[in-house]
Amino acid sequence: MFRPARIPRLSQALVSRVSRVSHARGVAGTTPQLPQHALGSLPTSTSPITSKLHFFNSVMSGEKKIPTYRVIDGAGQPIEGAEVPEIDKALALKMYEHMVLLPIMDETLYNLQRQGRISFYITSFGEEAAVIGSGAALAPDDEVLAQYRESGALLFRGFTLDDIMNQCFGTYLDSSGKGKQMPAHYGSKKLHWHTISSPLATQIPQAAGVGYAIKRDPNRRGKNCAVVYFGEGAASEGDFHAGLALASTIPTPTLFIARNNGFAISTPSTEQFYGDGIASRGPGYGVHTIRVDGNDVLAVFAAVKEARRRCIDEGRAVLVETMTYRVGHHSTSDDSFAYRPRKEVEDRKRLDNPIVRFRLFLESRGWWSKEEETALVKRLRDEVNAAYKRAEKLPKPPVEEMFSEVYGGEMPWNLKEQREELKGLIKKYGQTWEPWKSELKKHKGEGKEFLE
Amino acid sequence: MLSPRQPMFRVLRTLPRLQHASRRWSSTEPPPAGGHSYTIGTSSLLKPTRDVALRTQGLQWVDPMDSDPSRDMLGRETRKMNMYQAIRDALSIALSKDDTAIVFGEDVAFGGVFRCTMGLAEEFGRERVFNTPLTEQGIAGFGIGYAAMGHTAIAEIQFADYIFPAFDQIVNEAAKYRFRSSGDFDAGKLTIRCPSMAVGHGGHYHSQSPEGFFMGAAGIKLVIPRSPIQAKGLLLSSIRDPNPVIFMEPKILYRSAVEQVPIDDYEIPLGKADVLRRGSDLTVVSWGTPIYTCESALELLAKPPQSISQHVPPSVRSARVELIDLRTIMPWDVETVVESVQRTGRLVVVHEAGRIGGVGAEIGAEIQKKCFLKLNAPVKLVTGWDMPVPMQYEKFYMPDNIRILDAMVETLTF
Ligand SMILES: Cc1ncc(C[n+]2csc(CCOP(=O)(O)OP(=O)(O)O)c2C)c(N)n1
Repeated sequence: MFRPARIPRLSQALVSRVSRVSHARGVAGTTPQLPQHALGSLPTSTSPITSKLHFFNSVMSGEKKIPTYRVIDGAGQPIEGAEVPEIDKALALKMYEHMVLLPIMDETLYNLQRQGRISFYITSFGEEAAVIGSGAALAPDDEVLAQYRESGALLFRGFTLDDIMNQCFGTYLDSSGKGKQMPAHYGSKKLHWHTISSPLATQIPQAAGVGYAIKRDPNRRGKNCAVVYFGEGAASEGDFHAGLALASTIPTPTLFIARNNGFAISTPSTEQFYGDGIASRGPGYGVHTIRVDGNDVLAVFAAVKEARRRCIDEGRAVLVETMTYRVGHHSTSDDSFAYRPRKEVEDRKRLDNPIVRFRLFLESRGWWSKEEETALVKRLRDEVNAAYKRAEKLPKPPVEEMFSEVYGGEMPWNLKEQREELKGLIKKYGQTWEPWKSELKKHKGEGKEFLE
Repeated sequence: MLSPRQPMFRVLRTLPRLQHASRRWSSTEPPPAGGHSYTIGTSSLLKPTRDVALRTQGLQWVDPMDSDPSRDMLGRETRKMNMYQAIRDALSIALSKDDTAIVFGEDVAFGGVFRCTMGLAEEFGRERVFNTPLTEQGIAGFGIGYAAMGHTAIAEIQFADYIFPAFDQIVNEAAKYRFRSSGDFDAGKLTIRCPSMAVGHGGHYHSQSPEGFFMGAAGIKLVIPRSPIQAKGLLLSSIRDPNPVIFMEPKILYRSAVEQVPIDDYEIPLGKADVLRRGSDLTVVSWGTPIYTCESALELLAKPPQSISQHVPPSVRSARVELIDLRTIMPWDVETVVESVQRTGRLVVVHEAGRIGGVGAEIGAEIQKKCFLKLNAPVKLVTGWDMPVPMQYEKFYMPDNIRILDAMVETLTF
């Protein structure tokens, strides 16, 4: 005979059993609290059993898309119902200055590449609000693992224009890696900015490990988080899946910031995914998620600040998807008008410029004026020009530097032998073979360490 | 409509399944995947007594017992361990001496599919010994991030055959982390352990010896032990080495190789080969499981059974063969091998992986460069054939004792 009263009791007993098992398996297993569904649930799941044959394709009820959080409109005015985040004048102006600096610096370095004076560059045009709004919401000692289009956030935490230029020119003063990597691959231990690498998305599971180290460090637990930036294209890599899966099952204070700028080189995001962007994936991993208007610096700032608070308070992963548009070419190796109309780009620049939007907000508060704008632009141009001119004059690191830091500890025999081999060759050809002779002149010491 | 009885029925039906699962978990029976070789158990290379074990060449105690080094062995104890127990012992020492150390991977929390992490979760807690989701690229990436913070990450990849999803993280990230930041950041505190080599029935994906693929990844060290004593000392060195290390454990040795293992904390230095047998006529270099196959081939050479004696000329039976366990594949101990070949003039390299692009090719090229005038015969490689490890043909694929014997005879009579 069917006795309804017993069903909840039985499934309850099972639930506690299942939760014990899952507790024993997880790092910090949470005990699932089963609502007492009329039809019960499966033993290895907390999903209620339903009698309806229903497929679904949206994380929002009613098959709706995930909304985009916005605070100010194109005129810099708060939109209906929006709460402007608390922000003092000094911070607002610091953010604005960096938003103005970023395209000035980018344009200069872009042109230097066009003239063949540096080998490569990557700009952030159009993403100033997403990058600087998020960077400003972090603590200066949160550990950041970036992709490559986030130099604004690094400048915000104190990387200098000289640091930028020395890395791009690969001078002996390059603090990121002594001229070992391509331009725009910045890093700074002091500024808690893990050195950028080209392989996409590899930093995402690494961030989960960094988050775990923070969690296990009594001096940093509850104080810092790991922050990882990546594009919507990179999010198609397996490492994205791995990173989200790790940071959610092994709960860590890891903050995932996706920059959805509509393109991965020439591939529009419509060819990158069929679902509701990157944000829709967060809930699939059990991760708190928000989508934000990436051209609204106040919305980005507020969202990332709150995301960071949750991340640290709960010790759990949080995902923020910032929606922007890549106004510039992918890099100096790309001409984006080969795959998108120039007019589309011009329209986007004109209709929704993140810097203008924020300036209008500042002006409406009486925090900024035309005169201050003119003076700022001039000062920043001068600073950028002076910095690149300083770096361009500096020699590359000593050639011998090439052999350092392959391994920690003692240099293995093969490298010692190869260093000697190159030394012999430089002695033999360094002052006569023109290509080597002129190249040696560019390095600090002109290869003297090899000639002795 | 479903019958209202259904939920209760389902609930009841699943209970025995759950109980069964937990029974299997608590079982201490090792799974068969590791295979077993009885011949290894009787090897003279294993150290059956405390005294022999304590005198292991190159062993370095981490905590001195006595200020007088000649009395350093007093008070040292050993315990009979197989290789998985020795590895577990090393992990336990690493975890107890370094609070930042963590052990993680697929199924490590219940003890690991090869029992290498048995009881560690209970001893050190789930925060330090824990399961990850099933993602090798994730495991490697997570370990790199943790290590980049200066903490000790000991990751396990369940089989070396499944390290390839992590290839990118290892080769492009772990190996280059230090170089690309010119020392500002590094992943040196990462060690990746993985069971490797053949077990007799592992087919394509439970047999591989992928060390050759990693040999060119500058920035990584590669270590392969041959026995419990070696495994413990080399693993502790790997964990403490300032570089990311891939530590490949020949899985057939987990239970087959048993010896007395010092219970204290000790290290065996990386980058140093171990000369197991002195000789002056031929040098044989190998690592991992084939070391024992080489030992058996040496017995065949000295005393060939009637059935094959016509292929072993009496003149070579008394040949004095030097047997070298390379132990560290990268950076390999060129000095020891060159010194040996300079004396013997002949070299055979034995490994399970295929020949093309294998470690043997690298050693052969270096030796012909450094010992050209001393070589009396071509360098001979005894390796797996250039194909996936074939399930039912393993006997004819692996470098077994007869193939090694034949190579030694050919080289000695060249
Ligand atoms: C693993 C890997 N595959 C391919 C590339 C080449 N690549 C460099 S950037 C890029 C597009 C990245 O797009 P997205 O992640 O959307 O970032 P965005 O450039 O738009 O900021 C590609 C394919 C790479 N660097 N790494």
